[in-house]
Amino acid sequence: MAQSQQPTTRKAAIVGGNRIPFARSNTAYAQASNQDMLTATLDGLVARFGLQGESVGEVVAGAVLKHARDFNLTREAVLGSKLSATTPAYDVQQACGTGLEAAILVANKIALGQIESGIAGGVDTTSDAPLAVSDDLRRVLISLNNARTWQDRLKVLGRIRPGMIAPEIPRNAEPRTGLAMGDHAAITAEEWEIGREEQDELAARSHQLMAAAYDRGFFDDLVTPFLGLARDNNLRPDSSVEKLAKLRPVFGTGEGATMTAGNSTPLTDGASAVLLASDEWADAKGLPVLAHLVDAQTAAVDYVHGGEGLLMAPVYAVPVLLVRNGLALQDFDFYEIHEAFASTVLATTKAWEDPGYCKEKLGLDAPLGSIDRAKLNVNGSSLAAGHPFAATGGRIVAQLAKTLHEAGPGKRGLISICAAGGQGVVAILES
Amino acid sequence: MAPTELERPPSMAALFARAALTARGRGGDLPDTHLARTGVTVDGGNLAGYARICGFPLTDSLPPTYPHLLTFPLQMALMGDRSFPLALPGLVHVRNRIDVVRPIGATESLDLEVWAERFATHRSGATVDLCASVSAGGAEVWRARSTYLARGATAPEGAPESDVTVAVGDLGRAAAVWRVPDDAGWRYATVSGDVNPIHLSGLTAKAFGFKRAIAHGMWVKARVLAALVNRLPEAFTVDVGFRKPLFLPSTVTLATAQAGGGWDVAVRNARSGTEHVVGTVRARGRGSPS
Repeated sequence: MAQSQQPTTRKAAIVGGNRIPFARSNTAYAQASNQDMLTATLDGLVARFGLQGESVGEVVAGAVLKHARDFNLTREAVLGSKLSATTPAYDVQQACGTGLEAAILVANKIALGQIESGIAGGVDTTSDAPLAVSDDLRRVLISLNNARTWQDRLKVLGRIRPGMIAPEIPRNAEPRTGLAMGDHAAITAEEWEIGREEQDELAARSHQLMAAAYDRGFFDDLVTPFLGLARDNNLRPDSSVEKLAKLRPVFGTGEGATMTAGNSTPLTDGASAVLLASDEWADAKGLPVLAHLVDAQTAAVDYVHGGEGLLMAPVYAVPVLLVRNGLALQDFDFYEIHEAFASTVLATTKAWEDPGYCKEKLGLDAPLGSIDRAKLNVNGSSLAAGHPFAATGGRIVAQLAKTLHEAGPGKRGLISICAAGGQGVVAILES
Repeated sequence: MAPTELERPPSMAALFARAALTARGRGGDLPDTHLARTGVTVDGGNLAGYARICGFPLTDSLPPTYPHLLTFPLQMALMGDRSFPLALPGLVHVRNRIDVVRPIGATESLDLEVWAERFATHRSGATVDLCASVSAGGAEVWRARSTYLARGATAPEGAPESDVTVAVGDLGRAAAVWRVPDDAGWRYATVSGDVNPIHLSGLTAKAFGFKRAIAHGMWVKARVLAALVNRLPEAFTVDVGFRKPLFLPSTVTLATAQAGGGWDVAVRNARSGTEHVVGTVRARGRGSPS
């Protein structure tokens, strides 16, 4: 009897990444579609790692705001790229967790030996956003399409009312609560008593660190210029607590309102991609291994009726991941906590420090404790770069992998990303 | 002869009108006029619109057919001038060859020059080549040759035979089917500025003797290249013959085959098989004739 090739798992290597600079909504990429941006990003990655005309095991990417015509967005981007047309691809969507989830999916297939290499990515545009006809008009149009006779068609057309004509514009709001994500975050900020000044400090630090990283060339092999943009145009190197303090709150109400346009991420356009592979594949190609994706975890919370904050799911995912890997929260050299809002990062770390919360909500005997702030988002994060929803995961994975590689072998990093729908995606990378 | 430099692109609608009014009584040999513009930059909005209408992805490089939009108004000015021997209305674009010397960045400053040459004898009239050269930083990056046929016209004594045939190999099955809507000419006119009435609507096309509006040949050529854009060499020559007019609306097929390190292509009517465009794409090696 032939021996079955029982899969043995291995850790997927992160070879490198590429992204286009992120652009604030309706600026440099106002005319670019998701497919334009994802294709350009893939081609940049292909050029960087010499993959012209080659096939990789799988390309996995997605967009949060997606036109109906883009049902096969990633495969279409592959067909328009310099990759071989024989590269399979599929789309995923997990709100702001899309990019990291895509990397986990690719890494898992590599870990199981199902593929030797893969590209994970994400793209989003809030400029070239999909508009839909109103639901009432949509029903009328479907009936019209089904009507057989002219009389029937006229009858159906008679149902159209002027109010139906206005298109539906996608909103950054939760369907079940009707609240914008910022409104949800403001509730959490108030519950955790997150102050205005600490939020502004975190925001200013993010801008300063990312600007410094650009200046020392850190992003030279992570970013490819696109449509005349060489750096993220949300980045303000001269950002300071004093300047940020002048902004008026945009989320929350009354005295307790602390969240401004400065300490919240703006709507952004952009795309990112990460090349993952087995060590053997990278070695055979003479490509570097920056880090390995060690493990990952998702979690979700009941933010509708369960009394938990919309963006708190990563707080739950991390302890599960730590237990499985026999690690403490302090066993990391770098932390990448996605800055959806400055208050989200602060509420997350505060929750891990809170004995009552850790016991009651997370079911832990002792709190996870605090993290060394000097190790947090050391090359800047979403408050500086901006946050094109599905593209953020790829940005963070590539950025952290390079940070770990620079720090030397055996360094460990934690990624934590909150997502709409009360979900969280977290992962461990190790150099 | 030193080129005549224009400060801005001439208005195409005015050129069409003037050329139509001065169509009678033309003749003689080709003028040796060269028209030029220097320091031309591409408008990002127009580029995005052109890319969308032709099917190109939006990138930092110009689509290989885009420089034609920059040089075409100069060629129109040259053809519309009284010194040009053929009447502009009725000229049919029968062949177009583009040499992409290297990809052109979308923000590069470009120098343009156009002229006419090769007045030649054709079995149903005479042809003339409108040439264009685009340079950046003093080096040529793109050049094109558009051959126009004037039916019933006569080339000067001793003119050479015109060469409008582009030969392709066996193309086999279609790679794609395109439904070309009846406003395709209008849409391309809005981004290209080529407002020749034969493309704009059925009514205006009838006034010039066509049963329906016809698609711009350069739009069809652009769509073909857009379909191959990620499979094109860095430097290449694309040479197409415009055969029978593509009446709007139509359903057409694109057939492609790898040939000679590049591509052979054809766009045909989906039902009748009538050939609208046939062409070749070939990589330019070092030292290719320019």
